[in-house]
Formats: sequence, C-alpha cells, structure tokens
Amino acid sequence: MKMTESDIILSVQNLKKWFSVRSGMFSFSREPSYVKAVDDVSFDVPRGGSIAIAGESGCGKTTLARTILRLIKPTAGAAYFEGQNIFDMNRLELGDLRLKMQLIFQNPFEVLDPRHTVVDLVGEGLVVHGLEESDEILYNNVIEALEDVRLIPGEQFARRYTHELSGGQLQRIAIARSLILEPELIIADEPVSMLDASIRTEVMNLMTELQREKDLTYIFITHDLAQARYIGDYLIIMYLGRIAEMGPMEDVIQDPQHPYTKALVSNIPIPDPTIERERIMLPGETPTPINLPPGCRFKPRCQEYGVHCKPEEPQLSEIAPGHWVACYFPDI
Amino acid sequence: MAVLEVKDLATYYYLGSRELKAVDGVSFNIEAKRTLGLAGESGCGKTTTAYSIMRILAENGKIAGGSINLGGVELTDLTDEEMRMIRWKKASIVFQYAMNAFNPVLRIGNQIVEVIREKDNISEEAAIMIVSELFDEVGLKPERQMDYPHEFSGGMLQRAIIAQALACDPQLIIADEPVTALDVIVQNKILDLLRKLQDKYNLAVLFITHDLSVVAENCHDVGIMYAGNLVEVGTAAAVFKESLHPYSSKLIGAFPSVVGPKTKLEFIPGVPPNLMSLPTGCRFHPRCPFAKDICKDSVPEFREITPGHFAKCHFAGELDLGGK
Repeated sequence: MKMTESDIILSVQNLKKWFSVRSGMFSFSREPSYVKAVDDVSFDVPRGGSIAIAGESGCGKTTLARTILRLIKPTAGAAYFEGQNIFDMNRLELGDLRLKMQLIFQNPFEVLDPRHTVVDLVGEGLVVHGLEESDEILYNNVIEALEDVRLIPGEQFARRYTHELSGGQLQRIAIARSLILEPELIIADEPVSMLDASIRTEVMNLMTELQREKDLTYIFITHDLAQARYIGDYLIIMYLGRIAEMGPMEDVIQDPQHPYTKALVSNIPIPDPTIERERIMLPGETPTPINLPPGCRFKPRCQEYGVHCKPEEPQLSEIAPGHWVACYFPDI
Repeated sequence: MAVLEVKDLATYYYLGSRELKAVDGVSFNIEAKRTLGLAGESGCGKTTTAYSIMRILAENGKIAGGSINLGGVELTDLTDEEMRMIRWKKASIVFQYAMNAFNPVLRIGNQIVEVIREKDNISEEAAIMIVSELFDEVGLKPERQMDYPHEFSGGMLQRAIIAQALACDPQLIIADEPVTALDVIVQNKILDLLRKLQDKYNLAVLFITHDLSVVAENCHDVGIMYAGNLVEVGTAAAVFKESLHPYSSKLIGAFPSVVGPKTKLEFIPGVPPNLMSLPTGCRFHPRCPFAKDICKDSVPEFREITPGHFAKCHFAGELDLGGK
C-alpha cells in the first residue's frame, strides 16, 4: 500500500531534546555539555497503527513522548500532527490538539486524585475543555466511557473513590478519562508495567479491542519487548537518544539486524523453561548520553564493530520495506 | 538432605482484633545448588514467606504455626538474639531496590566489613581482605569498596549486595525480586553471576519474583502462590508444561513471549480475594472456570500428584488444562 499524506497522523522529523548540564561553579569557561536525551529522531505514525517504542532506561523514549506532547520544549526539529507542526501551535490550537492526542501514564495511583469520585475524574477533561453541556449529559458521557472500558454497569463505579478500586480498574479509569474526549492518538507510557500479570493481559486486550472499536492510533512506550510485541504492529528500538532500528514488529523481533536489537531480543526472558536460547551479552552498562564518542554511539559495546564501520554516525537506511537500521554492518 | 525445609508455615498480621492470613499452609524444600522460584501476584504472600524465614516481619506480623528448618536448626524455636546470629551467617537476603539497601553516607566496603565483623570475630584488616576477594568474585574492582553508593550504577549496586550476602558464607540466599528494577541485559548478567556463585558455594536459593519468564529461565523448581496458599510446586518443566492447578496454568498463559507464534493471551477474570474475608473452600474457586460444589465447601489438600509435583486442588491431575 502506498502511503499518502493523509494516512500519516503524526510525523516526527529530526527531533532533538538536549538538556544542558552544568558541571560546577568554576567551569564556565568550558564548553557547555548536554545530555542528548533525544538526538535527531524521525518517524511516521500511520493512522490506525500501533507503534511500540522500546529501549532500556535512559534511551529517551519517555522524553520523546513528552516532547511530542509539548509538555517540554524541543531543542530542534518538528512534529506534524495531521500536517500541522505541534511546536508552532498557539494556545488555541494546542487546546484542540490536547483533545485529539491523549497521554496514559504508568502509575494510575499517582494520576488519579484520591479525593475525587470516579465521575469527577473521568469527566474532568470535558469540564477543563468547556465541553460539558449539562450535568446530566456529562454524567451520561462518563457512564458511557466507563462502559467502554468494561466497567459495567457504569453507575456502580461512578460514585466510588480510587481507594475502593483495584489497580486494573484504576488503569481502566485512566483510559476512560482519555476516551471521553474522543481522541485520535493515544500515547501510552508503560501503561501496564505496574499491573500484575493476569490483570496486565486484561488491560492489553482491552486496549487492542478499543483500538478497533474507536479507530485509535497508539504510540506505546515500554521497556518490555514481549509486551511491545503483544500490542504493537510496528517497533522502534531506541539506544541513547537515537533510533537504532525500526520496522514491522515481526520483522524486527524475528530477524533483528542492529547488533543492539539482536542483543536486546536475545535477552528477553521466555516463559517456557524448555526453550534454550543463545544470549548475546554486551559489555558494560548503558552509559548516560553525555559526551558521546564520535561516530556510532553503540561502538563501545558493539560485538560486531569492525572495519566496515565509518567514523561518522550511521544513518537509518531501509533494508526491507519499512525496515530501517542505523548500522554499517548489514550489507544488503 | 534439604538445606531449607518449610512445613505448613502460617504467618498472620494482626490489625486491631482482626487477623490477616498473609501466609497459610506453605510447605517446600530446597536442596543445596537448587533454586526454588516462588512466584505469584502482589499480595499472594511470597515476600511474607521470605520475611518469615529471616524473621524480619513487621511488628504486627507473627509466625502462627508450622516449622522452618534451616540446615538442621529449627528457626521457629530460636530467640530473637539467636536468630540475629543466623542472619547473614546461615541465611542472607538480597532485596529488590539495591539503591535503598546501603546507607548513602557510608562507604560501601565499610558497610560490608561491618557485617562481617559483627558475625565473625576477626580483625578489620582481615575483613577488608574478604571484601576485596568478594568484590573480585562478583565482578567489581576491589578498590571500588572505598566508593559511596551513589557512585555505583544499579547493576553494580546489585553486585555489591550479592557480595554482602555472601560475606559470611551462608547456606541459603533469599533473593526477593533481585533484578526487577534492572534492564534486561544487566538483569541477565546478575542472574548469571548468582547461578555461578550458587554452584561454587553450594548455595540453596529462594528466588522471589512476580515474573514467570524470569522464573522459567533461572529456577530449577517453581512454587506458585495464591492468596497466602502455595497452590502448586514442582520442577520448572513440570509446572510450566504439565500444570496441575488451574491458577498456575492461567497465570503462565498470561505472559507474552518474543518467540513462537503470536497468540491471544488469557486473563483471569476478577481479582484476588481480600485476605481479611477469604472465600470458603478453595481460595481460587470464585475465579476458577472448573469450580464445582466441592470447591466451595471444602479446602483442598496439598497433595503429591506425580513424584515431586504437588498441588492444592480437588481435581489436580484430572483437569485438561491444555498443557503444552
């Protein structure tokens, strides 16, 4: 299928987010140093797609999401939502955007105010955006949103407080809070990582069903590739602020090309004691992206580093339809 | 002979006049060089089981019954002072949050020296020598014992804690979610280290985690807990491939994998019971798709169904749980 402009709901282009670090009182003569949390990241999100962004702690996946939502200012680059650059929007346009683009956080216990009832929590978005027509319509909308997330009958949950609900129910309320605004794109930052296994599956299944029912597009941020595979259809692997590899989910999981992706996939534990796999171990731990070495930032830990590797930073190149790798090694 | 034998352990917390049965009837053995993975969801009693063995329960928690036998010594008979000499010396515990385990204003090496000198009557120089050897053993440079905790990364701190756990040459190590806060690659390095040390020092390891994928790859035996009960125990292959308890089979089925075909995962409807008002009969019956009248009326026995494979279910061995 040829992708046309309107099929792309979000296009991120050369996005950078650098945080400056001050190293001490007497260091003003030195060059400023930066944590390059997000360093030149570009990707497209097709409408109706479900993109998983994965990587280890500190790879920049959460900073990327927060920058796209304009919760923090970008250092450079652009992000086009339905053709309009998010970073050029004025307050009014931004208000509109916030309706269409919603965020779900990891910890529902921290997001939901314990002093409010469910009906206030779920209806809050409509009130903030001035979209409630009357108390009665608002109440009905809340009930509908609760039933959308399978809290049925909604009336039974509407008057409760958060302490009367379980973790899985709270995360579903957090999802209902977003759904009530009829968003087009939901960015979910580790939405199920806090939940126990049996409940986690329930929430992941719910999110997949809602995507179909409501024509949603997801950006799903996670550190767990098994979760990413379960919920996403396209995978972006980040390492130290850059995309190492991205492509259709099964292509990347079954046949990873970047040495980092290979190591990461081989280290994901499998819930089956009878399967033995070869693990690729990387030396050292992920460093902080300050004062990175010139050239490939994965070089110090790379098991395949060799003569092919050029001194400059590798760029993403397309090795198969939609499958991009930033490495000099895959000679295809 | 098993290093650790736990029999019918019951640990209750007392809240005012009410009792909360956090652990109720847990029995298992661990031999030297074996790892038992104790898994289950939050609140199932896995950490309380570990804390009961070490006797580091909260003030309102009490061992209400059963026996804990460590290397021939009955721990439940010991006084607090006698128990203090068992900790680190015979049994050590490694906690989840490595960053919280060390005092941030003291050098890491000194903190381990303190543990050694508390338990073994030796000079400071000798203790420092032991720490140097231990650091080398766990893959840390010996000179780093002069560092403060903030100078270590998460993986390094976890290594230092393992060094501390080994300092007094124990027989049993309890690892309570030892790698949950770490990234996968570091996680596997720590687990490999733990396995290597286990072989070298003949350790029995009780490994506590909520992640069955980690259990599958790292434990010889597996115990599954639900609402304070141990519902199934056996070798990893038996529990994963020929589950006897519906809860174990459902829980295992809820874990996504990066290998094999992508299938829709199952979930268990409902939530675990409130431990203050437990259901009658089998504690899992309200959520069990196979429940019959007997499950509501009588508590199932914990029985050996096939050699070494136990389950607490009236119909264990008779159900078709779709074992693969």
